[in-house]
Amino acid sequence: MAEQIDALVAAAIHDAKNALMALDTQLGEIERRPASADFAAARATTSRIAGQLAELLTLYRAQGGQLRLAIDDHDLHDFIDDLLTELGPLPAGITLDVERSAAATLGSWAFDAYLVKLALLDALRNALRQARAHVTLTLQAAPQGGICFEVADDGPGFPAAILGGENAASTQGTGLGLSFARLIAERHATPAGKHGHVALANRPGASFTLTLP
Amino acid sequence: MDLRDKVGLLIDDMPEMRSAMRIQLTDAGLEKCDQARSIKEAIDRLKEKRYDLIVCDYNLGQGADGQQLLELVRRKQILPLSTAFMIVTGETGYEQVSTAAEYAPDDYLLKPFTADLLGTRLGRILDKKAALAPIYSQMGEKGDRTKALVACEALLANGGRYTLDVLRLKGELLTTLGRNEEALALYENVLQQRSTPWAEVGKARLLSLLGKDEEATAHLQRTLTAYPNYLAAYDSLAHLVGKTDKAAAQQIVEQALKVAPSTQRQRHLGGLALENKDFERAESAYRRAVEKDRTGFFKSHDDYSGLAKSCVEQGKTIEALTAVKDMGSAFARTPELEARQAAVECQVHVKSGNEAAAKLALEKALKVQQSAKLDASSALEIAQACFAGGRAEEAKAIIQSVAEDHHENDEVLAKAQGVFAQAGMEDEGTVFLEATKKRMFKLNNDAVAMAKAGQLDQAIEMLTEAADRLTNNAQIAINTAMALLMHVHRNGADLAQTKRAHAYILQAQRANASHPRLAEISGLYRKVAPAGAPPLEDV
Repeated sequence: MAEQIDALVAAAIHDAKNALMALDTQLGEIERRPASADFAAARATTSRIAGQLAELLTLYRAQGGQLRLAIDDHDLHDFIDDLLTELGPLPAGITLDVERSAAATLGSWAFDAYLVKLALLDALRNALRQARAHVTLTLQAAPQGGICFEVADDGPGFPAAILGGENAASTQGTGLGLSFARLIAERHATPAGKHGHVALANRPGASFTLTLP
Repeated sequence: MDLRDKVGLLIDDMPEMRSAMRIQLTDAGLEKCDQARSIKEAIDRLKEKRYDLIVCDYNLGQGADGQQLLELVRRKQILPLSTAFMIVTGETGYEQVSTAAEYAPDDYLLKPFTADLLGTRLGRILDKKAALAPIYSQMGEKGDRTKALVACEALLANGGRYTLDVLRLKGELLTTLGRNEEALALYENVLQQRSTPWAEVGKARLLSLLGKDEEATAHLQRTLTAYPNYLAAYDSLAHLVGKTDKAAAQQIVEQALKVAPSTQRQRHLGGLALENKDFERAESAYRRAVEKDRTGFFKSHDDYSGLAKSCVEQGKTIEALTAVKDMGSAFARTPELEARQAAVECQVHVKSGNEAAAKLALEKALKVQQSAKLDASSALEIAQACFAGGRAEEAKAIIQSVAEDHHENDEVLAKAQGVFAQAGMEDEGTVFLEATKKRMFKLNNDAVAMAKAGQLDQAIEMLTEAADRLTNNAQIAINTAMALLMHVHRNGADLAQTKRAHAYILQAQRANASHPRLAEISGLYRKVAPAGAPPLEDV
């Protein structure tokens, strides 16, 4: 795991450096034209870097045996509301459909809202970047018990190597998010021994599913 | 939810944080909001006014935190369940805040946040409080648990988004009322749909109450593997394992302390380490309890007493006597404090071989004991000093009156057993306490039988004698009120007898507000009390 984290640290630093440069440009634009769309872009950039650093920190703590999940009941409808608020405005030309009718029947579910929110925000940002026009977020009861969140887009789909199970720390952004999502899915467990998991598929756009027990 | 007509209390020790937070609360729509800078101010405010919501920073300085404050005010019933409590914390504090203990905040919010988010979250918890209000209103000190259950049923029949919250409260109520099978069935039903920490721990508690300790232990261990942050599971497991294996219980409390620090858990650890003769660990645990809490609200006489005992066991007489002295400057002067100091000082002197000083201290402790009605812990401390000073008969007399007064309270009985164990009289203690319990059962049963046989006056006489002596015994107070009310019922309206019954019902409430028979006796009172009798408010 240590080597993998080293690679992720390098990729995250690289990404953060580029993001800070983009942020600098965006801030420059805001200075020139205060009420510009760059403002939203700048905020999106800062929350993306903050999210990635938080993910990295979590992986680092897990490696040191210091990560303990804080599992508590959360109302699923409210949780998705919070998620969308934090996601902020969508990129121009992309729509996001949210299917959460299952929240009404499920009510609340026990999970670590802070970590799951980080993972889903990352997946959503990724999908919004890759999508041609359309992203969907779906909440469902999992057939074997548990709940699943699916984030799907109509973009080119995951590269074959990632579908094959590589974490691909070097490919832009996805490596860290995926490692993080897999870690926290696995750490969500029940006393009966069930664990969460992450599933990836192309149908044909990328589909990311986080299942929690 | 409109926050404009709500009244809030903001608790934060940092002035600049407080004013920033106050602005955000105003922006979120909360206009009426008092402020408190410290635990003391917060408690004073809570005592004088009823708030809709509390927003409290996790870190309160002086070794105090929002979680400990929440536990304190909920346990002492200064903060009603209908008041929402939100803890605000930096990201680094989030693991400690989110560790659900017995008393968990209604929500916690990570800094930094916007006023919008703050408003949304406060609105949500207030909506939930409003929906559950019919249940909460019957769960306070003067509430009727049976009515609270009826309110649960009504809310469950309507369905809705708070179903799981209602089930959680219903499980707690059924457990308090001793309806163990129903409570277990409820938890198992919930767990069939989903796993959630509170239902797992609830199930384990019920298994234990139904005598299946082994199954309960295994269940809690599995629960902790899945939910290693869930403090309530550590607390239940330590309690359960501690019945037979104090060393294992000590290990569990050590683990819980790694999850989140708390003075109460340091005290628990110190107590277990003392019993395990792990004096060094006991000393460090008690020292932490004493030193960390510089507010004085969370530590107790027990911490100084434990510190003194663990020191003297290691031959550190001076440190032990210092702890006794420090106890005096940390707390208000009360008979309990005086008794404690003298009783612990006696034990220190006995251990260090200073017989004359030990004798003097013991005399002082006994003098206080004779002149004031002490709480159970202080009385038992004196009993322990009596054993140490070679006055076993006096020790037993004190323990007997404490045990009679608290014969339904397992915690006090376990403490009493601990006093025997310290004196090396473990087996004798078991027999002694068992006999005391039996005597109390017999007294209650005899009185009931007498009443049934028509000898109501004799039953009343016997019970009032006991109830006036044993003011902490809810069971006896309830039976006394019962006999008096039967008398009223049979012999016609008697205002004097009814007033006496009223007083005993209040005595039972003070002794144990969640006694399962309180609802029954209150119902009977309302039925037979004649016009002009004092009303039972909220009961």
